[in-house]
Amino acid sequence: MKDLKHIHLYEALLEQTANDLVRAEKDAGGIAVGYTCYYIPEVLLNCGKAFSVRLRAPKTGSLDISQYYMSSFICGYTRALFERAFEGGMNFLDFYASSDTCQQMVRVVENIRDLGLIDNPRFGWGIIDAPLKISPHGNKLYIEQVREHLLRPLAENYGVDVSDEAIRAAVREHNELCAIFEEISELRKADNPRITPREFHILSLVSYASPTARILPYLRETLEDLRAREADPVSHWRARVVVVGSELDDYDFSEILENCRCYIAADRYCFGAYPGRQQIPLRNDEPALDQVCRWYLETNQCPRFMSQDKIKGRRELIRDLAREYRADGVVIEQAKFCDFWGYERTLNTQVLQEEYGLPTQGIDREYVVRGSGQLATRIQAFVESIEFKKMQKDHPDHDSTAEEGTGR
Amino acid sequence: MKKGAADNLIKGTAIERHREWRGLRDTTYDYLQWCRLWGILIKWAASHPVQNVKAVFRYRWMFSYLTVPSFFDRICSGQRGAGLRGARNNLNYLASDVTGTLTTIFSADMHLHPGSKRAEELNKRIICLDELLPALLGKGFPDCKTILFQEYPMYLPSLINQHSPVHYIEQSEIYGLPADVCPLPSFEAGLAIEDDFPKIGCCMLTSNMPCDGSIMTSMIQDRRIGLPSQVLNVPLRWKEDEVQDYAVQEILSAIGFLEEQTGLKYDWDALKQACEVWNEQNKAKFEKWEMNRTEIPPHTGSTVWLYRIFEHQAVCGDPKALANDRKVNRILARQVAAGKCPKTIRHRAIIWNTPANNYANFNNWLLDCWGIESVCEMIDLHGAELIDTSTRESMLRGLANMYQTSTMRAHTKGGSEVMIDALWEKYEEYDADMILMFDQISCKGVGAINGLFEEGAQRRGIPMCRVRQDLMDPTSISRREMRGDVNVFMQAVMNETPLDLSLVDFDDDESW
Repeated sequence: MKDLKHIHLYEALLEQTANDLVRAEKDAGGIAVGYTCYYIPEVLLNCGKAFSVRLRAPKTGSLDISQYYMSSFICGYTRALFERAFEGGMNFLDFYASSDTCQQMVRVVENIRDLGLIDNPRFGWGIIDAPLKISPHGNKLYIEQVREHLLRPLAENYGVDVSDEAIRAAVREHNELCAIFEEISELRKADNPRITPREFHILSLVSYASPTARILPYLRETLEDLRAREADPVSHWRARVVVVGSELDDYDFSEILENCRCYIAADRYCFGAYPGRQQIPLRNDEPALDQVCRWYLETNQCPRFMSQDKIKGRRELIRDLAREYRADGVVIEQAKFCDFWGYERTLNTQVLQEEYGLPTQGIDREYVVRGSGQLATRIQAFVESIEFKKMQKDHPDHDSTAEEGTGR
Repeated sequence: MKKGAADNLIKGTAIERHREWRGLRDTTYDYLQWCRLWGILIKWAASHPVQNVKAVFRYRWMFSYLTVPSFFDRICSGQRGAGLRGARNNLNYLASDVTGTLTTIFSADMHLHPGSKRAEELNKRIICLDELLPALLGKGFPDCKTILFQEYPMYLPSLINQHSPVHYIEQSEIYGLPADVCPLPSFEAGLAIEDDFPKIGCCMLTSNMPCDGSIMTSMIQDRRIGLPSQVLNVPLRWKEDEVQDYAVQEILSAIGFLEEQTGLKYDWDALKQACEVWNEQNKAKFEKWEMNRTEIPPHTGSTVWLYRIFEHQAVCGDPKALANDRKVNRILARQVAAGKCPKTIRHRAIIWNTPANNYANFNNWLLDCWGIESVCEMIDLHGAELIDTSTRESMLRGLANMYQTSTMRAHTKGGSEVMIDALWEKYEEYDADMILMFDQISCKGVGAINGLFEEGAQRRGIPMCRVRQDLMDPTSISRREMRGDVNVFMQAVMNETPLDLSLVDFDDDESW
């Protein structure tokens, strides 16, 4: 297929955290709000003149400094963020919206705060406590925490408009962005899709890492381009999978799968399409803030949610995605040293296989996956196992052991 | 050449060749208390002999309990005077309570009594709690026994026998769990995978206590245990007023769940009585802390923090525990009043972060080998606010606070400043001259603020010794390696010579 419109621009934007669009928005008086987790409602950080930047640390190399401050057993993402802040790469941030939901993640902002790493006189931070189950009093806590620790400082210290009207305007813009992704996601359902996993990952990442208002015009044009795009005459995909897992902002991961001819039909990881790129429905008879918070709490897929309904719900979502996007299997990826996904991967790799009948491959990975031959080998093996299962299904009378015996 | 303490230990197992000589009075006291322990154990064993033998064969972890006399000797080693007396009394109280609970557990255990109607009836009156939820909540069901579910198969065995977690951690890892997760939840997961939790209770209250690993291990346990369960979500930013309403609502919701499962009405008067007893237990603790601030800290080490954890979690609100507290405090106060210090103290250390369960007698070694007295330990400082029992609402708020500041959590949650600032405060408060910081390699929440501790200590000119450990996995870091970290620090940084040369390096890898 021919190159997707703006794809090289997107790649360039993903080369650094404070990319050209972020800098342009800052120059225009925007307030840069960094965040790392779905527990922080992205759309609320885009109220008024504030704009959200989901934090990444592209081109991460050595993590020596963070290893001294944070030990070597901490997840690579958090260490990379710390390292980037230490190097001065986060100085563009005006506000860091964090949540005490993953302890390793909250330690990043605490280190940044205590060591004074952000060279920006306006820099501030907010940390919320969020429930790990759904209940009316949990909703109340969440709304209060968001209001008190995120919206209030944004309004008082930066003059950001966080009124109901401003929230609704932010939701409208967010929904337009999501509508684009919903349509693009539909394209992934085709047998011979017009978009590659790497491209989708790049689009998804750039939408999180850039100011919504500035990235939207480009994404609209990309969508137009996709509508008109012709797929390759012959599909070369050997297997279709749903990728599930923890924070993943290195699109080389998708490229590795792509090179194994493994198509990512749907994704459910942090920085991905589910959850995060679905339109938020708003009613007029209830404050927008309450509705938005409820939406983010109820759609949250973090393994931190402990109640049985949420645990089951997470598995059912994967099953539903696999059905809807006609996936042959599931890849559960876990960032090394992530406690939440360490357990979730372990259990769900077995449960999805045994109870839901979904071929599932669990893998752990470093923050930067580029050039990971081990990862490629495991994906390759998984793809082959899926193909083998398909062969068995298509030819139930075929005696594979006999074939093996003949050396074929 | 004078023989040292380690010369009395058999190489590898570190079992004593003969009982420690502590002078006539202390040796006699120690021996009589040791006999008292045997009395407790024999009484327990003889009360349900068949059931107990079945339990030993059914549960791998039960083997560890057979080594309890050796464990008690180990964590009393080197102790003299009031410290020894306090330790033995605390331990024997603990033995008495634990054996009673084990009897309840095994009598109701459907693994040991499949199909038993009697066991079924007993289970209707057993409430299981996540082991890091204090049992005080259960006092409102006086007709029920509240059991900390993982305390007896996991937590206590990990202290008694350093090898007990290894098999279960291996099972978790074979199942696919990464080896870098904290051994505590990994041990729990292994127990669930091996089906080695007793099959007891009518329901289970799980929780997010104390950390991310514990949150996740509940998922594996829930599947295996199969009891009706509810999560008690204890807020993390416990210093903030805004989370308190939520904390109270969660407790009310948990009470509602327990009422539904037990079919009983919650007895608020019973809870009030228990809270008042707990307040007295806490006051007794305050007295102990006060005594340890003097030049003669009378009661330190693992028999202090182990007892505190047990009291805070399992026997909070129990009048028998309070009676033991008062007895121990009288003994300690006499020594402080007499101004006698039976041990050589060279350094007063603050011990920070969670201690290593696999080396519970580490404090004894610190004192005997280097003269380092553990005057204050982070693990000993939790749930230290009195509960206002004047109204139901104030009582609930007090209870919610106790839960939020429970074992480990009081410092590791609430923001890094909670754990960091408290360290410098305690350093001043206890007139310490060094800090011993446990570098628990799999504790990510604390590991991620390593640098802040280092730089804080450097700025203040405080000598800080880092001791690597892995909570309860001796295969990651052995006792000998932990001692090695201290040895290097004491020789290279503090320029000290050991009090007892034999203790500097010895082999106890095979020891329980």
